[in-house]
Amino acid sequence: MTVSSAAAVEDLVIRLKGLLKANLHRAEEIQIDNVAPITAGNARQAWEFDVRWIDRGEEKKVSCVMLRKAEAGQLETDLIPEFRIVSALWRSGVPVARALWMDSEGRWLGRPAFIVEKVEGATDLFTLLKSESAERSRAIAQQLAAIAAELHTLDLNKLGIDFLPATTRETAAAQQISYWESLFLKHRMEPHPVMAAAFIWLKEHQPIARRVSIVHGDFRFGNCLYEGHRVNAMLDWEMVHLGDPVEDIAWAYRALWGPQAFLSLDEFVRRYTELSGIPVDSRTLLFYRLLGEVKHSIISLTGARSFMDGRTRNLFLADRASTISSYLMQFLDWLPAEGTRD
Amino acid sequence: MTKPTIGDLLNGVAVSLRESVLPEIPAGPIRRQIQVAISIIRRVSVAWDKTGPYLYADNKDIEETLRRVCAILDRAGADGSGADLEPMRQRIRATLDRDDDSGVEYPSPAALAARNVELQGQLVELQEALRRPPSPQSAERPPSAERIEILAMLRVLFRRMLERELEVTAPPGAKK
Repeated sequence: MTVSSAAAVEDLVIRLKGLLKANLHRAEEIQIDNVAPITAGNARQAWEFDVRWIDRGEEKKVSCVMLRKAEAGQLETDLIPEFRIVSALWRSGVPVARALWMDSEGRWLGRPAFIVEKVEGATDLFTLLKSESAERSRAIAQQLAAIAAELHTLDLNKLGIDFLPATTRETAAAQQISYWESLFLKHRMEPHPVMAAAFIWLKEHQPIARRVSIVHGDFRFGNCLYEGHRVNAMLDWEMVHLGDPVEDIAWAYRALWGPQAFLSLDEFVRRYTELSGIPVDSRTLLFYRLLGEVKHSIISLTGARSFMDGRTRNLFLADRASTISSYLMQFLDWLPAEGTRD
Repeated sequence: MTKPTIGDLLNGVAVSLRESVLPEIPAGPIRRQIQVAISIIRRVSVAWDKTGPYLYADNKDIEETLRRVCAILDRAGADGSGADLEPMRQRIRATLDRDDDSGVEYPSPAALAARNVELQGQLVELQEALRRPPSPQSAERPPSAERIEILAMLRVLFRRMLERELEVTAPPGAKK
């Protein structure tokens, strides 16, 4: 939870100046203004601010956003890969904010944090899902398909992203199952037989990926920073990994937040395949849609556990366990009948 | 004492917070936290008295399903096809027998919850046993009529369990 008291702002300004002095070696008269908290999910605290400084007599100015790891939350991700992937993707064709500075161990900012250049626009899932903004939402959903196509066809060898754990077409699904199952076993507060059944099904129906791509991991409407009808940046790369590109499409079209009312999944897939040349197999898509329900259940469980253990006092996480039943019901609704191939 | 019920009390607290406290708080993170707190109190005000009956019904349903699973495993044991599942069958029987011995007429919600966790654990263990290869030499368990029958039965049970859970966990006014 972020409290924007004057004392908190003053403390943050001192900390930020320390980080900037360590990074801007020639800078003089570093000045930080317009510091304000912004909403950025439950896993990180976000602040915006302007920085001015003099570099060899020339005044420089940049508007920034700082993302600092929350005390505990619904995700246990490392900020370093997120900062590095955003840096690697700058000017790749995938819209991202320009990565500026990193405090990987929280030496200056108290907890791991990084700073990016502020990008104009809004992230407002509720507005995007309203029928009155249908035209804009359809345009943004179409751009989402194009961004996915761009991201998933990037040449991994040219990007220098060896900090992401390697995977293969054959092991991409297994790695995700294993990652989420380990989190489930760590954070569950009771046995959860339905979740156990879900993992068994997923292990028995692992698809082989058509290719290995950068997978955003939280690719959805709510993470588009948009202005008018245009997506200016994709945010929240904290779950980025190498894997099956279909995973991002399945996640984008979860019933909870998907743009299906404005652009059907079929239309999205058609556009994506046209642009990327990557065919989307229906069985693979179903597998990742099912994994998505499990994944969101575990994110909720992790948040609820953090709250119950007293590692966070963020009330947004307090009752998250109560949301799991609806995700698992969706899982059962989509699950093919026993013995069928799809 | 029966009035006010815990539900009435919590609902009253939620309404007071929403109507009297919230308007005084400026927009920002603190206000959002209070809004979430009000939503949680409202949900609990509706769910609090459903918890005992929910757990009671859930436990009975799981026990009944496990009895039917035992009958299938008995049959498989008799024709020799499910010998490796015999330890599992015995553990299920022991779990079911434990409830018959409890002798408590009105179990507390805490006792019902503890039993629920025990039964959930049995369902997890059963699924793992059904998936495990029958011997270290086999790579995977061949599909058998018993396994298919039990898994289908469990899938239907899981749907009933989630439906019951949703009765308790859905926010007030949520569409079912």
